[in-house]
Amino acid sequence: MTERGRRQDQNRQQQKPEQDPRQDQSRERDDEGLRARLDKLSNALDAQREAATSSDVAKTEQDGASARATATAMALAIRILSEFVAAVIVGALIGWGIDRVAGTTPAFLIIFLLMGAAAGFWNVYRIAMKPPGSAS
Amino acid sequence: MAEENAMDPIHQFVIKPIVSLHPFGIDASFTNASLFMMIVVLSAAALMLLGTQSRALVPSRLQSLAEMAYQFVASTVHMAGGHDGMRFFPFVFTLFLFVLFCNLIGLVPYTFSVTSQITVTAALALLVIGIVIVYGLLHNGTRFLKLFVPSGVPVALMPLLVPIEIISFLSRPVSLSVRLFANMLAGHITLKVMGGFVVSLLGAGAFSVLAPLPFAMTIVLTAFELLVAVLQAYVFAILTCVYLNDAVHPGH
Repeated sequence: MTERGRRQDQNRQQQKPEQDPRQDQSRERDDEGLRARLDKLSNALDAQREAATSSDVAKTEQDGASARATATAMALAIRILSEFVAAVIVGALIGWGIDRVAGTTPAFLIIFLLMGAAAGFWNVYRIAMKPPGSAS
Repeated sequence: MAEENAMDPIHQFVIKPIVSLHPFGIDASFTNASLFMMIVVLSAAALMLLGTQSRALVPSRLQSLAEMAYQFVASTVHMAGGHDGMRFFPFVFTLFLFVLFCNLIGLVPYTFSVTSQITVTAALALLVIGIVIVYGLLHNGTRFLKLFVPSGVPVALMPLLVPIEIISFLSRPVSLSVRLFANMLAGHITLKVMGGFVVSLLGAGAFSVLAPLPFAMTIVLTAFELLVAVLQAYVFAILTCVYLNDAVHPGH
């Protein structure tokens, strides 16, 4: 550090105590104003929130939202179940049909039943790997 | 729903011919199912035609209902299929309104719910899958068959995975039709059984004090069935979109 730099540093240190009281005062005034505004805002917010919770409209809206969540969850559950069962049924039907035509009675039924179960799991996996809202 | 069958929960699904028609030995009678399908189509058409008649900037109730249905299905189709999927919007919208009105009108007492017949839901599902296959083959040619070949899989596993994909594809119409049919059937049977409990408890002397319990359950179930009715129409529409999207963009 050069001589001039050190002197400037000392100057700054000397000046600091002179400036600080003014800055503190202004800052305090700002803080007070800010605090007052915050209080006012949070009071308004509280009032609004109180009004919202007491009014029936908000309540039914909340009920509607929770009912909608239940509904979508249920739709997803039914969808997963039906896709799994459907794949097993289709596999069994294909195996049964091939067996009837080829006369190899239990062989293809067993193979396609297992494949149907695999397809069912594959269906379920495909649904589960997508977020429920995205739908595609 | 005749008096002697008031307690039979299955009796509401019996198809009765209203006008008997047997051309060429085929039973093509005009039944109660046909009647309610016509009522459904007419009321759905009435909603859209009357709702869009005034085209007011500030919509009336009917208009906003029609616009809500339109918006809802349009956003669903767009979300699932993108811009290319929108060409199927008229089809999906028709399907959605038909299923929705069938479900909702079927909830009114003394009506017949068309979607509780598996023949109806299977016909709708086969229509969807038929369109998927025909459009997929016409639009994409052999690229449509990529739907059955999962990408990024070693060739050695293909003989196993391709049949699984085919079974998975074939299971779509089954699950689509059975889901709607089973939901409506089960819901209506549950409602009927609960309603039957009220009647039989009322006629059971001292036990009639318990009658309000199944009655309250019936009310809850009716609200629940209303939800299921709308939900299943929505699920049917959204899965149609998903399957049609496979036809437009094969190879996932």
